[in-house]
Amino acid sequence: MKRRTLIKATAGLPLVAILRPGLAQAQVKEIRMIEAGGKSGESIEVGYGNPFTAKTGIKLVRESPAPFGKLQAMVASGNITAATFELGSGSLVQAVKLGLVEKLDWAAINPMAIFPEAKHEYGFGYQYYSTGMAWRKGAKAPTNWADFFNTKDFPGKRTLPDYPQYAIPFALLAEGVPMDKLFPLDVDRAIKKLLSIRRDISVLWKAGAQPPQLLKDNEVQYAIAWSGRIVEEKELEFTFKEAAADLSYICTVKGAPKAEQEAVAKLYYEMSVPENQAKAAAVIAYTGSSPNLDPLLPKDKLHIYPTAKQNKDVQWVSNAAWWAENGEAVNKKWEEFKFNL
Amino acid sequence: MAAPIAERRHGFGFTAPLLGLMFIAFNLPILYMLALSIWSAEGGLTGAYYAELIDTPIYMRVLGNTLRISVVATLVNVAIGYPLAYWMRGLSPRAQFIAVALVITPFWISILVRTYAWIVVLGNNGMVNRLLLWSGAVDAPVSFLYNELGVMIGMANVLLPFLVLPLFASMLRIDDRLMQAAASLGAPPRTIFLKVFLPLTLPALAAGALLVFILCLGFYVTPAILGGGKVPMISNLLDMMINQYPRWEQASAVSTLLLVVTLAIFAGYRALDRKVGA
Amino acid sequence: MNGQHAFAGRTVAVLGIAALAFLVLPLLIVVPMSFSSARSLTFPPPGFSLRWYEGFFGDPRWMEALWTSLSLALISSVCAVVLGGLAAYGLRRGTFRGRDAAESNYMAPLIVPTIITAVALYLGFAKTNLLGSFAGLVIAHTMLNVPLVIMVLGVAIRSFDVRIEQVAWSLGASWTYTMRTVLLPNIAPSVFAAWIFAFIGSFDEVIVTSFVAGTYETIPKKMFNELILEVNPTITAVATLLMLFTIVALGFTAWLLRRGGRLKETLL
Repeated sequence: MKRRTLIKATAGLPLVAILRPGLAQAQVKEIRMIEAGGKSGESIEVGYGNPFTAKTGIKLVRESPAPFGKLQAMVASGNITAATFELGSGSLVQAVKLGLVEKLDWAAINPMAIFPEAKHEYGFGYQYYSTGMAWRKGAKAPTNWADFFNTKDFPGKRTLPDYPQYAIPFALLAEGVPMDKLFPLDVDRAIKKLLSIRRDISVLWKAGAQPPQLLKDNEVQYAIAWSGRIVEEKELEFTFKEAAADLSYICTVKGAPKAEQEAVAKLYYEMSVPENQAKAAAVIAYTGSSPNLDPLLPKDKLHIYPTAKQNKDVQWVSNAAWWAENGEAVNKKWEEFKFNL
Repeated sequence: MAAPIAERRHGFGFTAPLLGLMFIAFNLPILYMLALSIWSAEGGLTGAYYAELIDTPIYMRVLGNTLRISVVATLVNVAIGYPLAYWMRGLSPRAQFIAVALVITPFWISILVRTYAWIVVLGNNGMVNRLLLWSGAVDAPVSFLYNELGVMIGMANVLLPFLVLPLFASMLRIDDRLMQAAASLGAPPRTIFLKVFLPLTLPALAAGALLVFILCLGFYVTPAILGGGKVPMISNLLDMMINQYPRWEQASAVSTLLLVVTLAIFAGYRALDRKVGA
Repeated sequence: MNGQHAFAGRTVAVLGIAALAFLVLPLLIVVPMSFSSARSLTFPPPGFSLRWYEGFFGDPRWMEALWTSLSLALISSVCAVVLGGLAAYGLRRGTFRGRDAAESNYMAPLIVPTIITAVALYLGFAKTNLLGSFAGLVIAHTMLNVPLVIMVLGVAIRSFDVRIEQVAWSLGASWTYTMRTVLLPNIAPSVFAAWIFAFIGSFDEVIVTSFVAGTYETIPKKMFNELILEVNPTITAVATLLMLFTIVALGFTAWLLRRGGRLKETLL
């Protein structure tokens, strides 16, 4: 009798060892994410945070906005207050260079099928978004970037993003540079083009919600904006022609506690589920990275999504590596440009 | 008259706790920032960041731009504030109290609120433009916002109390009898103002103007919101350097430069301030 | 007014009133807008509605920001008054070496452009792990409001005749007893005024808070983000409530100070 109990007891030991990582995980009460904010942030909560919390009982706490400096400060201080951080494609390259993000354990995440570019070594590409021309219904519709920069035939004020990675290439497209020959960027030529319409540049916006607001208030008549903010507005128009298609990533911050990283892996899994992506797309018109997403999107609204076939073909994608190399020099030129406005 | 021993012993002890706080919360961070600007990544002192600062003409130009805008905003403040203080001086005590309250209250209302309100007033669809369009004075909305004009208006509105209150206080202290004496000697009102009143208020005016100027230099909220990204001032540049690029060593260098400029101006302010108090 | 030409008098009056109107204009706009039924920034508002107030009180994120702001303001203002009050006493009554230097140090946050303070604190706190912590916020806010406290209490202590304290000591009273029963009751209105100024100063602080608050949201930080992220009349409701609170607090302070005969000195 005694021996049998002993054998049973020792048989239980490996079971406990397997359970222990689970025990550590049970201590994680919440995962914090620093993200871009606004509707985009809400889409993360609705699409991925809620199913994640339903499955694991762990809360997802969001914080916004997500300037790059915040990530650097967090890692530098050694006090990782948020395990996840949202980064654009260019910032991701920079973050990897500076050692600010952890490598993702894709085996542990075990995602459903996602596009290859979304499966970055250091980040989960969770959101395709487009940057392009927007205008008020009723204003003369521009058909290409040359029109956008033509203030004579298309009169009105413009608002441009205070982000050179968007403004510079569009100016070059307006100069007639073909989409596949954009990089390496001729920055000086672009700045000259931008300065040529300086009188009509009303605002340089920093937040995605500014352009639609300015358009609706009739403060400006034309804007460069992120598609998701425009396409669902009744009084505004957007075109994907010659727009910039881009991917936003969620990354794990370097130095995040192991237990949190394991929990985050589950969150990443949720981001690969097409049904969740459809829910997110209902909040803001951006698409997730599943190839099986299209059938789940509303048929009549397919044209508002960046990755819909008709849109994907007419857009161009930025060269993150070039920006990582040249970003700083371009930033200085951009400051000069603003000064000369 | 020497203070009794008991007081002398006590003096420092009272201020010590605060000194401790100031060290942690202010002195050390500022020194750390200064240190960052001269410490290279490999270790060891370097002037490289300052060299880069001077080599990048745009940074110096933004600093110059900030100085210029601050000067103009200060002058606008003086142009509006001096007559206001002068008028307040001539009011009945009760009216004075109301006027002072009106000057002080905005001072305590959130700067965001006041800035936001100017968007409503000055926008293309805002009150002023609608009035101008309706009256036929112009046929297209005037751009008051998202340019230097908007920033100046916003800054003048926010900083006015800083000028008016000390100026008003000093004007109150000017004895009416001085002017009565001048009048009785046959001086016309204009001369009395120019030769008697104005010079007496000059120290307070200059000191107040310097204070406003210093505040303009470091202003962040109003230029950020009312400038629409098109009015590059030092504070916005620093924000980009800290949050967006980020280049912390550069930000430190720029900050330090601004700090040196500010301290120099403040030294001037203190000298004048002592003259006022005398 | 004596010795003033009537015409000049009227021009000055016009200029003065215009200047006052310029000062007060934004406030007159914001209040009606908070009751507007329209969703965007239109003035005059098309209709009356309390939806923005409901939106404010009903939104858990605004309420969380309110809670953070209130607790931060309360703690830091008390710290500012205690530390600043002691320091003011030491500065006014003491004659130790380096008194001027100490005073300049305390006043420095008022003079140094806030953006520099914000940047320095950001970098310094990042290094010392205080970034994004409540303790860091309290330290920062206390430091920022101390200059005002010292100014107000300095005036009050200076105008309180030191000889009364000396009489108390010479009669054998201990220092704490003298403070409690002789000095404090006499400068109580100023103490209250200093506390209110520190409280409002903390409640309103936006730049430094934006840089060092991390995930903590205060009312002004949230307002600033909303202003940039999504302009929406909720912030006019917040602004009106803030205004109301400020006016009531300042009015009460003025009444207190007037009773203590300190109104004019403290203000000017």
